[in-house]
Amino acid sequence: MFIFKNALISITRNKGRNILIGIIIMVIAAASTITLAINNTASDLINSYQSAYDKELTITFNRENMTKDFDFSKREKLDDMKEKFNNISSYTASDVEKFAESDYVESYYYTYDVSLNGHNIEKATSEKMSEEGDSDIPSFPGGGGGMSRSFGDSSYDFTLNGYSSLEAMSEFIEGTYEMVEISDDAWEKAFDGNYAFINEELASYNNLKLGDTFKLEDEDGNTYKFTIIGIYKENESGNAGPMNLFSNSANTIITNAAALTAITKANSNVKGSINPTFIIYDYNDKDAIQAEFYKKGLDENYVVETNEETANAGLSSIKNVQAFATTFLIITLVIGGIVLFVINMINIRERKYEIGVLRTIGISKPKLTMQFVAELLIVGFVALMIGAGIGAVMSKDVSNSLLASEINSSKESSDKIKGNFGGPGGFNPMENGGPMGKISGKGKPTVQAYESIDAVVNISVLLELLGIGLTLILISSLAAMISIQRFTPLTILKERS
Amino acid sequence: MKNTKALLVIKNASYQYSDAEDGEYALLDVSFEFEKGKIYAIRGRSGTGKTTLLSLISGLERCTEGDIIFDGKNLRDINLDYYRSHDIGIVFQSYNLLPFMTASENIILSMDASGIKVADKKKRALELMRSVGLKDSYANRKVLRLSGGEQQRVAIARSLSYNPKMIVADEPTGNLDKQTEEEILEIFKNLAHEEGKCVIIVTHSANVCNQVDKVFDLKKVK
Repeated sequence: MFIFKNALISITRNKGRNILIGIIIMVIAAASTITLAINNTASDLINSYQSAYDKELTITFNRENMTKDFDFSKREKLDDMKEKFNNISSYTASDVEKFAESDYVESYYYTYDVSLNGHNIEKATSEKMSEEGDSDIPSFPGGGGGMSRSFGDSSYDFTLNGYSSLEAMSEFIEGTYEMVEISDDAWEKAFDGNYAFINEELASYNNLKLGDTFKLEDEDGNTYKFTIIGIYKENESGNAGPMNLFSNSANTIITNAAALTAITKANSNVKGSINPTFIIYDYNDKDAIQAEFYKKGLDENYVVETNEETANAGLSSIKNVQAFATTFLIITLVIGGIVLFVINMINIRERKYEIGVLRTIGISKPKLTMQFVAELLIVGFVALMIGAGIGAVMSKDVSNSLLASEINSSKESSDKIKGNFGGPGGFNPMENGGPMGKISGKGKPTVQAYESIDAVVNISVLLELLGIGLTLILISSLAAMISIQRFTPLTILKERS
Repeated sequence: MKNTKALLVIKNASYQYSDAEDGEYALLDVSFEFEKGKIYAIRGRSGTGKTTLLSLISGLERCTEGDIIFDGKNLRDINLDYYRSHDIGIVFQSYNLLPFMTASENIILSMDASGIKVADKKKRALELMRSVGLKDSYANRKVLRLSGGEQQRVAIARSLSYNPKMIVADEPTGNLDKQTEEEILEIFKNLAHEEGKCVIIVTHSANVCNQVDKVFDLKKVK
């Protein structure tokens, strides 16, 4: 008990020095509170933002790997390239199921795309399509069956998109497509059997309505009958060409993956393209997942990609502020810690005689160390509380002001890009709808960037601050601890004599 | 013949500083015995190891060779912090009081350090101050406002605060005038002869040596 009494006496005796220590700790505490509040609030925002997105992983073609050895200027080499593409082993629905059994994968869905001709249904077109056949330049496959000669070939009348489940129907989720008519039992039938949703333009062109059937045929003349269970329209669409009155999706028939798998099984000449999407637990597992997929038979000309970049698109400003806050916190703590340590070293040197006397009258080293640490703790705790209060008051304004300047700098950069494409009225290629937006954003809803953080000092911030403060105080108390262990009372008293 | 009444026995004690060369001793092979109720002087010229011996007796250092036995316990085997705060009172030539404290606070601090149970520590401090000839009005004065003699009296009162069996004093009158020296010596004699304490004074004052019960001479180590 007398240890604390002595500590209090020493604090009141050395007011100037203790006020100085208090001010330093207070400044550190205020800065730490602000940065911790920014950090925690930013983390919460990032987590809630990211949780709004599924962590998606897709398999894409490794174009860079495939084209690295080719010289596009030599036309004769293109045949070799085409052959190489055709030799890449594709993955099937059962491969996808096997991949999805990974412990890293939470769930999955896929689309299966096949191209077929109309049998008793006409392709919606306002101009006669060229019938040139295969191009000399191979089309890059977009998915597992992409190396197929048939899929993606414009010589076919229709593209059939087969979905494995509702969540695979991304165009409807994102609003690119919208149902305009649908049969009552459509969703019961949608994912099994030969049922289809067709574009309203195609329906109108062929005078088809709900419940009607139509037939498609493959190259070998086999026919496949589909029943219409829904009619959709395409929103925000461009048309299929400068002379075409119809939208891009006019000849896209939506059905289910099972129906298309059955067609490709029935006739192996019909090639399909499977595009799986895996919902994963953690973006950091990407490399491990890729390795596992390779092990399970995925051709190494494919790579896996995640939507992490898209999911993080609106977080760059807030992440920059968070990074700044973290760096600032580290610098503050390091500099503050050094200053406190030095002040304590000076303090100990000044109080060497006192230490000598106290040791002489029998106060043990641990008790004496406790007294010095207690002095710092008392001053430090009071300063921490005041600093936390100041930090709490300032954190909201400081965080928002930091974010505002970060957003301004982002906007300036974005405006500059926009200007490059024709000024403020021009389109922004980085936004959805722009070419780059389509690639990177894959039609996700427009990312709403954060404009305020409103950093909050909560109990978690206070506990972190307390932890940091106590650690800092204890580290700076090391000066006292080391000195007290090293000093012998006789040496001190002799020096004084 | 072993003196069974001895409170403190020094047996062949030697001390060598850690940075000393081989064979270089500050104190070599010293053997003395001290009894309760007597006042002793340890005399010697500068460099004979008087202060070193006192620091060994008072438990500020441990002898590098030999033993010091206090009340049957070897100082090597006991906690020296406890020993200094319970068994022995130390008085220095330069008083070694805490200047930012009052006279009574210095005495009370020493009681606190020993953990002694005293109902009213302030009252006890005043009693101790009176016993060494200090007025009550000095109790609340910062020690720096007291004269050398008064500070030395406070230091003696502090050393008595936990009622130790032995008092050791290093040149306690070295900074004092003749009359004050006599008064301080009188206090020490009373502590030995009236209160039965063992008092050891390290000095080179002939006057002090003339008034003590026994003088031990220290010779310079060759």
